[in-house]
Amino acid sequence: MTIEQEALKHFSEVSVAVELQTSDMTLNIGPQHPSTHGVLRIVAKVDGERVSDVTPVIGYMHRGYEKIAEVRTYPQITALVNRIDWVSGFANEVPFMAAAEKLMEIEVPERARYIRMILTEMARIASHLMFMASYPLELGATTPLMFALRERERVLDLIESVTGGRFHPNFNRIGGVQPNAGAGPTQKKAIQDLPRGFLQGARDAMDSLLKTCVEFDELVTGNEIFLARCKGVGILSPELAADFGVSGPNLRASGVAFDLRKHTDYLPYDKVQFEVATGTVGDSFDRWLVRLEEIRQSAYIVQQAVDQIPSGPLQAKVPKIIKVPKGEAYVRAENPKGEMGYYLVSEGGQGPYRLKIRSASYSNISVIPILLEGVLVPDIIAIMGSFDFVLGDVDR
Amino acid sequence: MTASPSDTTATEDVTGPSALDSYAESVAKSVGALSWSTNFDTVKVFVATDKWTSSLRTAKTELGLIFFSFLSAIHWSNDVEVGDAPSDPVDERLEVLAAVGDLIEGHLVHFSTSLPVNGAALATLTGIYGGANWHEREAAEMFAIDFVGHPNLEKLYLPSEFEGHPLRKSFPLLSREVKPWPGTVDVEGMPGTADDAPEDSATESMPSGVSTENPGR
Repeated sequence: MTIEQEALKHFSEVSVAVELQTSDMTLNIGPQHPSTHGVLRIVAKVDGERVSDVTPVIGYMHRGYEKIAEVRTYPQITALVNRIDWVSGFANEVPFMAAAEKLMEIEVPERARYIRMILTEMARIASHLMFMASYPLELGATTPLMFALRERERVLDLIESVTGGRFHPNFNRIGGVQPNAGAGPTQKKAIQDLPRGFLQGARDAMDSLLKTCVEFDELVTGNEIFLARCKGVGILSPELAADFGVSGPNLRASGVAFDLRKHTDYLPYDKVQFEVATGTVGDSFDRWLVRLEEIRQSAYIVQQAVDQIPSGPLQAKVPKIIKVPKGEAYVRAENPKGEMGYYLVSEGGQGPYRLKIRSASYSNISVIPILLEGVLVPDIIAIMGSFDFVLGDVDR
Repeated sequence: MTASPSDTTATEDVTGPSALDSYAESVAKSVGALSWSTNFDTVKVFVATDKWTSSLRTAKTELGLIFFSFLSAIHWSNDVEVGDAPSDPVDERLEVLAAVGDLIEGHLVHFSTSLPVNGAALATLTGIYGGANWHEREAAEMFAIDFVGHPNLEKLYLPSEFEGHPLRKSFPLLSREVKPWPGTVDVEGMPGTADDAPEDSATESMPSGVSTENPGR
């Protein structure tokens, strides 16, 4: 090619580029979109395939629990709080109970604490399995869904056998758990406790679950398409994560080994051994790996707790009408989605004066606009999905 | 345990100050707080309104409290539309809480400051903690607090035309009075009842939580 020809070609390319210059487009995703896990709306400004600016619009699921809680009694609020993150309903109840028990200075019986711990870890497994099902699905792989939901069903059946509910157990009571746990029509009233066969069922389910984790490694973790979609995508630095209050698996994937189960005593986690799973890079792939490892660790916790569970009463002595003494307490817990906390202000009545609900997904997705700046349009789904949020947990 | 830094009674506790107490005291001293408390294992540090940003900046840069947990408020009021009034009369005020923590020891400190109920304004924390952005927007729409310097103080949850500030104690729980409860209005009658049966019985027209005389309990 001569210099003249090259110059001509260059000139034509430049003029084409000038002619094709386009204005930014606005791309609206949601509120009804399968990848938004509820009703989240994302308004993205895109320049071709590049995202330049993202605004999440939330509030479609706002139910005003903080206001409603002011006109409800403490036992009634149990039914509200397990609807915050409905994928792990049981785990939401525990810190609220712990906050009320702290103000009432109630010591929860050890057996009740163990039952709470077993069911909380099962809720964590159920929540993470939902992620194992939905995240590959969002990236185009449908088979892992079958594997994950099969295992999740086993776990939900166990939760249901104890509490009577798959998603909304409504099972915790201030001072312990429901005293007639599992007292179905087939059981004698004298043994009102965990249903017969529960402990063995839990052992079997955990064995099966650990096998499925291996299958997940073989099916998804090494999959070339999956790796191409999420490796190096959506890197969240530990500083940015802390700055925005990102917690839970999303924080640990960025390499911060911070787990409230190791720092607080709301449940007897000091009696069991488990490791805090962390990532190294903080990309979407690390968030996948951390959750997969957390399923394993939760299964180990359940296995140990089932072997250690002491006998004894299921509920401390509490008055029939629950009045919480005057005071303020904040109790936070390591929920499947991250730090879940209740700032409970009591003025001595039957209901709280103010209940601030600190939910994990709210802070987790507040960082998404920053992560999505400059990524490609398909990466929006790959990044949002990896944060594993639930809109009930965002809007409350 | 509650004490101000200059209060000597704090050290006269029989068991001596716990680790949490000494931690709270050191935080309070570093940020120049008015007082502190560790009731129910909840570390609270009370700071003056004009020292709000400077104390939180100190907390982040010098005390390692880099994790922004939440920001919210409590409306202390004796005249409440919903729920129970405080057992003892309180000063009318808005108490703003910002909870920040570290990611090593697991400490969490609640910074607290008091604002007047009318014309409540506070300097924004968005320049210090990025996560304060959404939390301040939420507090602004729920409590009518103006966060001065906030880049985008628009409504977060509520529709933009919404009037009122729902988490204030003066805001009644109106939703079901404004929007007819579908159970009594839209749905056709149950079998055996006439469709035009009277729907104004006391229990149906008064859903729990809306009456000021009997607030749902």
